[in-house]
Amino acid sequence: MNAVSAGGITVTGAPAARLSPLARRAGLKTGERRVGWLFMTPALIAFAAVILAPFLSALGLAFTRYDLQTPNPVFIGLANFAQIAASPEIRESFVVTFVFVSLATVFTIVLALAWALILNQPFRGRAALRTATIIPWVLPSTVSAFIWAWIFNSRYGLLNAAMLEMGLIDQPVAWLSTSAGAMTAIVIAKVWISIPVTMTFFLAGLQSLDREQIDAARVDGAGDFAVLKDHVLPHLRPVLLVVVVLAVIGNLQQFDKIYALTGGGPVRATTVLSIEVYRRAFDSWDIGMASAVGLLWVATIIPPAYLYLRHLLKTV
Amino acid sequence: MLELSSTPARITFGVFAALLAAFLFSPVYWLIISALKGNAELYRVIPTLWPHEPVLAHVRTAFERGNLFLNLKNSLVVSGGAAVLNTALAAYAGYSVAKFNYAGRRPLMVLLLSAQVLPFGLLLITIYPVMARFGLLDTHLGLILASIVFALPVSTYMLYSYFSQAPTEIIEAARADGAGEWRIFHTIILPLSIPALVTVFLYAFMWSWNDLLYSMTLIVSEDKRTIGPGLLLNYLNETNADWGGAMAASIVASLPILIAFAFLQRWFIQGVTAGAVK
Repeated sequence: MNAVSAGGITVTGAPAARLSPLARRAGLKTGERRVGWLFMTPALIAFAAVILAPFLSALGLAFTRYDLQTPNPVFIGLANFAQIAASPEIRESFVVTFVFVSLATVFTIVLALAWALILNQPFRGRAALRTATIIPWVLPSTVSAFIWAWIFNSRYGLLNAAMLEMGLIDQPVAWLSTSAGAMTAIVIAKVWISIPVTMTFFLAGLQSLDREQIDAARVDGAGDFAVLKDHVLPHLRPVLLVVVVLAVIGNLQQFDKIYALTGGGPVRATTVLSIEVYRRAFDSWDIGMASAVGLLWVATIIPPAYLYLRHLLKTV
Repeated sequence: MLELSSTPARITFGVFAALLAAFLFSPVYWLIISALKGNAELYRVIPTLWPHEPVLAHVRTAFERGNLFLNLKNSLVVSGGAAVLNTALAAYAGYSVAKFNYAGRRPLMVLLLSAQVLPFGLLLITIYPVMARFGLLDTHLGLILASIVFALPVSTYMLYSYFSQAPTEIIEAARADGAGEWRIFHTIILPLSIPALVTVFLYAFMWSWNDLLYSMTLIVSEDKRTIGPGLLLNYLNETNADWGGAMAASIVASLPILIAFAFLQRWFIQGVTAGAVK
């Protein structure tokens, strides 16, 4: 009795409806399982082919020598990891990644929260401003990199011009040629790109703010800052967790904008792990080493990822 | 929500608002006016704040130089294909988890979602040789298939959230009338879900359109190149930086995605945040 998954034939449906509820329930269950899996299968195949299998094979390749001189992977145990531990270059990538992720995440959260609070106030043109806010986020990676490279340009850049005019510098600075300048540029660019979507999360959280509670606090004489500190921020706590975790994951994974803006340079000043892995794999074709660094990279993502997944799972 | 209580507070607030707005929007403004300035006006240490003599020369050269049209066409094929494929896969999978009760659906969802945290760059290391083995390297089809990586997990989750809210009574009623699951999904559920499907389509389209890493690695031939790497390789090679052209071409490359968002923003925002903010 499989009226459910047999499908499409009107006649089989009528008697099914007349069956005892219990029998129908059982029939539905087997059918449900089968059809459920059937609907799931295409996504699972795609997932296995382009996500799971590549990940597992990278996992395996991390323990092999597999480079231009070694056309077939040779198992070498932990040798790649020993080499990583001994390499000041790769250790530096971890430091650079840490600096980039920390700065980008903190500034993104603070500025996005401020922008969400601003856009939550009633004023004319607010709807248009909210719509326009999304722009930095949807621009192609190359385009946002171009914009910031042009602003940071050593000879004709807006930044130099503004700082010269304000008397902050005496002569133009080649920002992208200095370690600190290049790091500043990629952090600013990434913050600029991330504010819109982060702001959206905060704004959604603010929608459910309890007005009456705030009005009551106002009557009790609470100032603006007290309302913010005692009512608004605590209310945003759950959103904050999601947003921080997503920002950390996103920043850890960032490749496109950094690559297009600085290429990881000058020298290795902005070579975060994503760029390190890319260079090892596609510039020097050292697949074993690239996989090993990649594996450590995944390890850095696991803690925030765990928090994120745990949050999402509450809703599944 | 927060009526500010004093004038100084309002002024401080206003200053912050203005500074943030300047940070968010002045780069976009700078992009546009830089594209409209002639070279004489563009290359100045202290720049003009608006184009005193606006010219369209850069827009013209952007189209003449380096296959901009071809890059756009290729991007349209790849992003369109990737978005269709992604939306279809996510729709079936999301519906499966939302409306069918079977053991294993929860772990499956976890598995799919966990993929979102795997770095694209790491996956690419082994996607590359697989594409090469199947002759898909340097083809649009290969890039489309690889693009599943970007959006499938979140898309599936978004559609799962949406389908969960679809009334089960309709499905039950259709089942009682003898409609098969396949037909129920395609003729009843999907038409009811157009906003969610559009959102997911757009999300996947955007990821693919804006990608640089996969499209510059998996596509080698110039005639197959998409817009991201196309822009990067056509402009700003160390020796010959054509900033006016780069800005004009950037605007052209961004327009399709901006126009789509202008129309669909409301749906989109709801879709993206629905799952995360509860």
